Amino acid sequence: MMKNKLIALDHPSPDSVNHNDRLNFASTVLWLEDQKIRQYKIEDRENLRQVNNLQVWEPAYAKYKKDLGMRSLSTPQAELAWLLGYAVKLEYCDNTEEYNHFSSSNLEGTSFKPKIKPDNFFDNMDFQSREFISVVSKLANPLKVPQHYDHLKQLEAVHRIIEERLSPAALQKDIVDGQPFPFEKGNDVVSEDPDLDYPIRILRLLQIQSLRELQTKINETIVSVQNLTANPKTDTKLGKVGF
Amino acid sequence: MVVRTYDEELKYIERISDCCWRIKKGFQPNMNVEGCFYVNKKLEALMFEELRNSCRPGQTGGFLPGVKQIANVAALPGIVGKSIGLPDIHSGYGFAIGNMAAFDMDNPESVVSPGGVGFDINCGVRLLRTNLFEKDVQDVKEDLAQSLFDHIPVGVGSKGIIPMNAKDLEEALEMGMDWSLREGYVWAEDKEHCEEYGRMLNADASKVSMRAKKRGLPQLGTLGAGNHYAEIQIVDEIYDKRSASKMGINETGQVCVMIHSGSRGLGHQVATDALVQMEKAMKRDKIEVNDRQLACARINSQEGQDYLSSMAAAANYAWVNRSSMTFLTRQAFAKLFKQSPDDLDMHVIYDVSHNIAKIENHMVDGKEKKLLVHRKGSTRAFPPHHPLIPVDYQLTGQPVLVGGTMGTCSYILTGTESGMKETFGSTCHGAGRALSRAKSRRNIDYTQVLDKMKEMGIAIRVASPKLVMEEAPESYKDVTDVVNTCHEAGISAKCVKLRPIAVIKG
Repeated sequence: MMKNKLIALDHPSPDSVNHNDRLNFASTVLWLEDQKIRQYKIEDRENLRQVNNLQVWEPAYAKYKKDLGMRSLSTPQAELAWLLGYAVKLEYCDNTEEYNHFSSSNLEGTSFKPKIKPDNFFDNMDFQSREFISVVSKLANPLKVPQHYDHLKQLEAVHRIIEERLSPAALQKDIVDGQPFPFEKGNDVVSEDPDLDYPIRILRLLQIQSLRELQTKINETIVSVQNLTANPKTDTKLGKVGF
Repeated sequence: MVVRTYDEELKYIERISDCCWRIKKGFQPNMNVEGCFYVNKKLEALMFEELRNSCRPGQTGGFLPGVKQIANVAALPGIVGKSIGLPDIHSGYGFAIGNMAAFDMDNPESVVSPGGVGFDINCGVRLLRTNLFEKDVQDVKEDLAQSLFDHIPVGVGSKGIIPMNAKDLEEALEMGMDWSLREGYVWAEDKEHCEEYGRMLNADASKVSMRAKKRGLPQLGTLGAGNHYAEIQIVDEIYDKRSASKMGINETGQVCVMIHSGSRGLGHQVATDALVQMEKAMKRDKIEVNDRQLACARINSQEGQDYLSSMAAAANYAWVNRSSMTFLTRQAFAKLFKQSPDDLDMHVIYDVSHNIAKIENHMVDGKEKKLLVHRKGSTRAFPPHHPLIPVDYQLTGQPVLVGGTMGTCSYILTGTESGMKETFGSTCHGAGRALSRAKSRRNIDYTQVLDKMKEMGIAIRVASPKLVMEEAPESYKDVTDVVNTCHEAGISAKCVKLRPIAVIKG
């Protein structure tokens, strides 16, 4: 991405820019200021020009960042990315007319993307139509999904309940027998505020559930790799009991 | 060093609760923080007797008493909070076994000490469950013990039956349990139920000496000698039904297998090599300590970093070792019961480390700090919802496996919130010695020990019967006292009690 931005800005050698080399980094910053950003008047760029004398350059650069209003970033790479983005933005603002007609619609026809034929009727559905909204609400009632101002969120909840409780896979699962443990009691300290205790416990359970799903997927991945690599061997001839 | 009488020494030790004592600054020179230790009435007597004995004129040789060792650790540079003695504490090399201490990673003076980890790096306990019950195994327990004994080589100088070459070892040192997974010795779920997921990421096999590797190569998949053992155990009592069921333990009578082992000769050599390096580093950096055995180096020094990388590699070795023995145990059971380990539900409940130093975040005086936590003969015991414990135990807290001694019971505890605050999420690890090895050899006869096991209905297989008395229950503190103290102090909670029916030992 950084290289693309450098090319877009007509940098003479986009391949050689290296944010880990301080001298290289400094010259790139100077080039951006000289050619694109032009935050300072030419005569005010004197200290920033001292790229071979980092003792002068570093404080000048620190001031420069402040003057540009760059927020504090942790790595030179992030800083360079910010500067490039800023330069691109300035370029664009200088000549909006010219750039505005570049859009993905221009690429249509020349696109390599396979066209998806809308044979799935969901693709043509208007998810914001009154009819759709009312059906979601109707679906939610028998499943006891509470009303939500965003009907798509509500639909998500409906989906989750159907998948976990009513889908063929869910119905085939063995019913866990034994006494359910009241989840508001446990070894864990949650909150001294009783109003917060209950909701926090619910959120934590949801978090644990999604972590469990993630861990199961990780295990499945490990097992599929094991199918390729595993070859456990034992050789009892090697064994020796000690004394 | 100042010589004080026993009564003078006692002025520095003060009871702060039923089972917790404070060691005030000044007990030993240059203490940076206070010390504390957890004991109940019975353990208290042992603790103070040890101190009294050491105050007798003319007492020299042997390790310093546990209380003195706790205080000496409190004088190490960079230590934060307290130097803490757990209920099973007994004197060891430098640090007492059962001593935990945390050092501030942001303090450039802070040190890492091999004595605070111990020689058997990442010695630990793994517990497997089964869906068998006591009645299923009672008649075949002799065969089971024999079968385990045949599969898992034990004793000093034993060699493993999993073929390994030098390249395998290098990879195992870097990858830990991931190596066992790749080679197909363990199940994906085993990794999930292991501290650190069975792999220390900072391991560097190139920092492990040739000599250590040579010692380690043939020993992989062997139990070793000393206090190491594999036991077939029966669930005897369930104290916390909910947590136990999360671990797959639903009823008393259920059969479990406990494996207690470590990094064998490799870990020992890594520790020995590091001690030599650290003595040099101490001279160079002018680090002063109260006891020569507390050799240490600044965490950020080359020696400190090298030790942490090699210790991590040794820790990985220990996990591979316990994983290999898990594989062999499953095979032994499968053969005897003619069912697959899967059908026997032989899942790993958890795998804990006893001798290790880890970088962890803890609250110190209300602020979150990055600490290097040394646990020597002490188990990590993180509370419910801690991000570093497996998802299955988020509600119960981390399972803590406390192995008893030969013929006595073992326990599963769970980590608690107050343990997190008071002891940096640490608790006891076992019974803890009461008599030195030499003393127990003098006092107890090995045939008596073996007869007693038989009387108790415990099948036993040992490689070296003559060393058995070192490990006799009489040589140890009562594990029930130890566990009860942890429970009363709130630093961990009792969950399940297990009793052995078959033991194999080095």
